[in-house]
Amino acid sequence: MGKNNKRPVYLNLFKIRLPVGGILSILHRATGAFLVLLLPIALYILQRSLHDPEAYARIAAQAATPVGRVVVLAIVWVFAQHFFSGVRHLLLDIGIGDDKTTARRNAWLAFAASLTVVALTGACL
Amino acid sequence: MRRVRSAGSAHTGLTEWLLQRVTSLYMGGFVIYAIVHFSLSPAHDYAAWKAWFATGYVRIAWALCLASILIHAWVGMRSIYLDYLHPLWLRFSVTLLTALGLLALALWAAQILITAAP
Repeated sequence: MGKNNKRPVYLNLFKIRLPVGGILSILHRATGAFLVLLLPIALYILQRSLHDPEAYARIAAQAATPVGRVVVLAIVWVFAQHFFSGVRHLLLDIGIGDDKTTARRNAWLAFAASLTVVALTGACL
Repeated sequence: MRRVRSAGSAHTGLTEWLLQRVTSLYMGGFVIYAIVHFSLSPAHDYAAWKAWFATGYVRIAWALCLASILIHAWVGMRSIYLDYLHPLWLRFSVTLLTALGLLALALWAAQILITAAP
C-alpha cells in the first residue's frame, strides 16, 4: 500500500451512499455531542427544580406549554436515539447481530424504537 | 492483550473502551429504574420530587449516574476530536476546554446533590 501513492481516492460526500448502519453510527456521535452540550442546561434545571416549590412549578408549567412539549419531545428523541444505537453497539460487542443482514435490520429497529419512545412520551404528556 | 490495548477510536486501549461500556450499562439501568419509579409513583409536586432526593440511596444512585455521564462524555468527545480535529493545537485546546468544562460540571453536580440532602 505504501508504494501506491496515486491510488484513487473518491470522497465526494454527496455521492457516497451511506448504508443505514453508517447513518446510525454518525447519528450516535451527533446525538452524543448534542447531549453533552445540553448537560449544563440539564444541571441548571435540576438545581432550580430542587430549590423551591415556585421554581419547580415554573419549570413544570414551561414544560407543559406547546413549545415546552416540542422541546421535551425533541430531547427525548435525541436521548432515545443515542440509547438505542448504543444498545445495538453493546450487542454487536458481544457478537449479537453482527452479520450484515441482521446489523442492517437492527439499525432500522433502533430508529423505530426511538420513534416509538417519542410517540409514547407524547401520549403521556 | 497488547492487541486489545490498541482497540477503540482513541487508540489508548482497553480502559477507555471498557469505561464507555460500563458507564453505558449503569446509565441505562438508572434510566430504566427512574422510568419505572415515576410510572409507579409520579412526582406531581415539589414535595414528592424533594422527598425522592432526600433518600440516601437515590442521591448515591444519582451521583454514580452523573459521574457515569461525565466519564462517558469525556471518552466520547475525545474519540470524536481524535477523528475530526486534525491540527494539534486545535485538538489540544478543545480537549483541554472539554476537560475543564466537565470537571466544572462534576463539582456543580456534587454541590446540587449535597444541597439536596435533608
